[in-house]
Amino acid sequence: MKKFFLSLLALLAGCGSDKPREPQQILAQTWPQIEAKGRSQTVSMVMWQGDPLINRYMNGYVRPELKRRYGIDLQISAGQGAGLVQTLAAEQQADQPSEADLLWINGETFYQLRQINGLLGPFVAQLPNAGFLDLQNPFINTDFQQPVAGMECPWGNVQFTFIYDSSKVTRPPQSFAELPAFLKAHPGQFTIPNEFTGMTLLKSWMIALSGDPKLFQGKFDEAVYQKWSGALWRQLNESRPYFWKQGRTFPEQLAPLHQLFANGEVAFTFSNNDAEVDNKVNQKVFPATARAYVPAPGTIRNSHYLGIVRRAQHPEAALLVINFLISPEAQLKKMDPNVWGDHTVLNLQALPAAQREQFEQLPSRRYAPRREAIQGLALPEPDPEYMTRLFKDFRTYVIEK
Amino acid sequence: MPGTVATLSPARLLLWLYGLLVVGLPVAGLAYALLGSVGLAGPLAAGFTGRYWRALGADTGLLYAALYSAWVAVASVGISTGLALLLVLWAQPTLRRPPLPALLYVPLLMPSLVVAFYLFQLLSRAGWLSRLSFRFGLTANLEDFPELVQDGPGVGIILAQVLLSFPFLTLLFQAIYQESRLAEYYQLTLTLGASAAQFRRRVAVPVLLRQAAPTLLLSFIATLGAYDIPLLLGRPYPQMLSVYIATRLQRFDLRELPSAYLAGFLVAAGLLGLIGLLRLTGRARDTASVP
Amino acid sequence: MRSRLLTLFLALLFGLPFVLLGLLAVGEDWRFPAALPMRYSLAAVRSLLAADNDLLAGLGRSLLLAGTVAVGATASGFALARAIARSRRAAQWEAASYLPYALPPVLLAVLIQPFIIRLHLSGSVGGVLLGLGLVALPFATLLLRSFWSPQVREYEHLARTLGCTAGQALRQVLLPLAWPLLRTTLVQTFLLTWFDFGLTNVLSVGKVRTLTVQVFTYVGEANAQLAAVASLLVLLPPALLLLVNKSALLRKP
Repeated sequence: MKKFFLSLLALLAGCGSDKPREPQQILAQTWPQIEAKGRSQTVSMVMWQGDPLINRYMNGYVRPELKRRYGIDLQISAGQGAGLVQTLAAEQQADQPSEADLLWINGETFYQLRQINGLLGPFVAQLPNAGFLDLQNPFINTDFQQPVAGMECPWGNVQFTFIYDSSKVTRPPQSFAELPAFLKAHPGQFTIPNEFTGMTLLKSWMIALSGDPKLFQGKFDEAVYQKWSGALWRQLNESRPYFWKQGRTFPEQLAPLHQLFANGEVAFTFSNNDAEVDNKVNQKVFPATARAYVPAPGTIRNSHYLGIVRRAQHPEAALLVINFLISPEAQLKKMDPNVWGDHTVLNLQALPAAQREQFEQLPSRRYAPRREAIQGLALPEPDPEYMTRLFKDFRTYVIEK
Repeated sequence: MPGTVATLSPARLLLWLYGLLVVGLPVAGLAYALLGSVGLAGPLAAGFTGRYWRALGADTGLLYAALYSAWVAVASVGISTGLALLLVLWAQPTLRRPPLPALLYVPLLMPSLVVAFYLFQLLSRAGWLSRLSFRFGLTANLEDFPELVQDGPGVGIILAQVLLSFPFLTLLFQAIYQESRLAEYYQLTLTLGASAAQFRRRVAVPVLLRQAAPTLLLSFIATLGAYDIPLLLGRPYPQMLSVYIATRLQRFDLRELPSAYLAGFLVAAGLLGLIGLLRLTGRARDTASVP
Repeated sequence: MRSRLLTLFLALLFGLPFVLLGLLAVGEDWRFPAALPMRYSLAAVRSLLAADNDLLAGLGRSLLLAGTVAVGATASGFALARAIARSRRAAQWEAASYLPYALPPVLLAVLIQPFIIRLHLSGSVGGVLLGLGLVALPFATLLLRSFWSPQVREYEHLARTLGCTAGQALRQVLLPLAWPLLRTTLVQTFLLTWFDFGLTNVLSVGKVRTLTVQVFTYVGEANAQLAAVASLLVLLPPALLLLVNKSALLRKP
């Protein structure tokens, strides 16, 4: 009986486990070797699944293409942020291979995954399509002030925008400085989602208050944060009575805010993707009077990335998937505002003329600002700690106040 | 050793396996959460620290979540019980006639997540009721419509819980009413010259509540730990317990994990303590009432 | 009159969800202040039949999962209830059965997740089954506990003295006696699993996409139309159960 319990305990403790391969071993292979090994495998990808168009791009285009080209079965599951990091960390602690191979991440998750050494790499240079990547662009080669260093591969590039209903608001506030007076004159139309997009709004607002984006470059600076977050909370609390529901509550996710906007309950929503307004109007989720713009002195522009789990069971297949996702075909498809509208991370100059032309001839954005128009209004992402702190303090100094 | 294994009868083996599952696993989870709260387990565990326990005093979030959950649970179970009693005591003839018993089963088909989604679509300021009231000129704009979901006092959450539980409680009370032959007692009290009101207050209500007490307690605890409904119909602050813990575990900052584990541990320990306490007092009362 | 009003009111109260969900499922471009959808379209309902549609697969997954848990929990619960009835520490075992039942499912899932990961079950159907079993099994055991009265044990004893084998006693005496209760337990544990969202969502790390998980995804996408279609699909099997077997729906732990 004792033996029986011991074996059960051993089972609970997860003693028996197949040792994952060393990263060097995997990355030392040549591309043909990787290709041979990665074929016909199942790749488990974890990503945020909050947008039907993104989901449709993945399920309707990427999955069948991967199946056709490499026989790869791409299994997508929902997950992001701290929950994802926790799962990976727990797998590491248990010393077992990961359930996930491929991750869609950006800044703050990248930072945490580096902290627990959860990523495989550097791998980007291995990818045949990496030559097309616009890695000279600081908005692409740096993720929340951290050099990407080949540990994650750029996938798309976006900029934060305000979206408003032009049938309700004739002249939206042109700058963050105008915002408080505007809110006072138009109460109940504006709120801040208490999640990633809302935090990007707060970061942009805080940088605007400081008047000097350079302050937020480099490592997290406690004094800078204290000073300008303090100013932000003061301004927010002053404007709060003019927020939606008098600022007594805030939407917990972006989708409910989009829903409020779609239903006409508020006149503003936001997007981390400058082209989202087009695809939301095309889907008839937003009214055709919805427009997007960037208030002065600018908003945060950042990239989102693909990473491979250090203990992935199918790292070779994951490399094939990433290489496909940054191929000109897949990037072109993704940039179409009718498909997803995610800006490419490729350097168009590096592409063959015919392909470059295809990018240039994409159906243009109808409701979102053109990329060239907001070039001068792009701010780089500050250190992830700013986001973590804003998220915590927004709760303490605004929501719970 | 083989000898000892042989003496373990299949039934006992089954029981021990069962114990391992229903007691072992949750207790192990509690222990892990406890270790996590003192920095001995979890992704960024860096050795023993009492920091998170000490910080508990300054953090009122958990307390508010507990109080808010208690309020929602008391209100929902209270209203549901009241409605069910009303129906069983005042609408006996209706309850016995079709289509009513069947009708009361309908809400039992609905998962709480679906009910929450439905009520959001119905009751939000841009929801169906608001649109209808706008059409009929009762409200001039969105803001005139009362705030019924994602509201401060939790009206939306309570409504959803009541919609789910009052039909069930009605069926339960009705079953008890019939099993306990309350209808016959009713005739008896009438012939003895007591009033219908007296019968309800002195006989029926005590019998129904007493017999249904364990179920009422369980639905109270289930409401206390409700997740799906407050997730959709609640506010970011104050939150109900399950939502509070789940959100804390998913915060951006991994360094907050230990305090989330601490919250999980305290809530689990608190709920188990509550059940234990109620069992003890229940038993004491039972033995006390034996002549 | 009063009686009729009451009936009408309850019918309206319980019928309205189906009406509104139905409208949402076929309504397009429907926003405040329109009282009815601008246009009607069967696109969302028809997309159920599309090849890449996950909703029907979700329906299948949910059915399979709930069916497995219901059968497994009822069968084991039957045996366990008997073992508990014969145990010297019956009261303690009964008290222990309330333990997982006393914790909110999400909290339970969060607590056991580290072990699910260590058992290599994270994100798998197995992990979800274990988690759901943890809730459904004690529930079934407690429900079936009432069956093993001293009287039933005497019947069993009698059957054995009359020459029945253990198997014959089970098949010819015990199962027929227990059938009504077993049926209730089956239905109850099925619904318990069918309705679950929080536990499955936590333990499956989003991988086991049951119908309720999908409802939540669509609500998260602010996609009211598909969320409504998924909601109606969730309501379908219990509605069939109601038609078949009403009394089994009344849970009384």
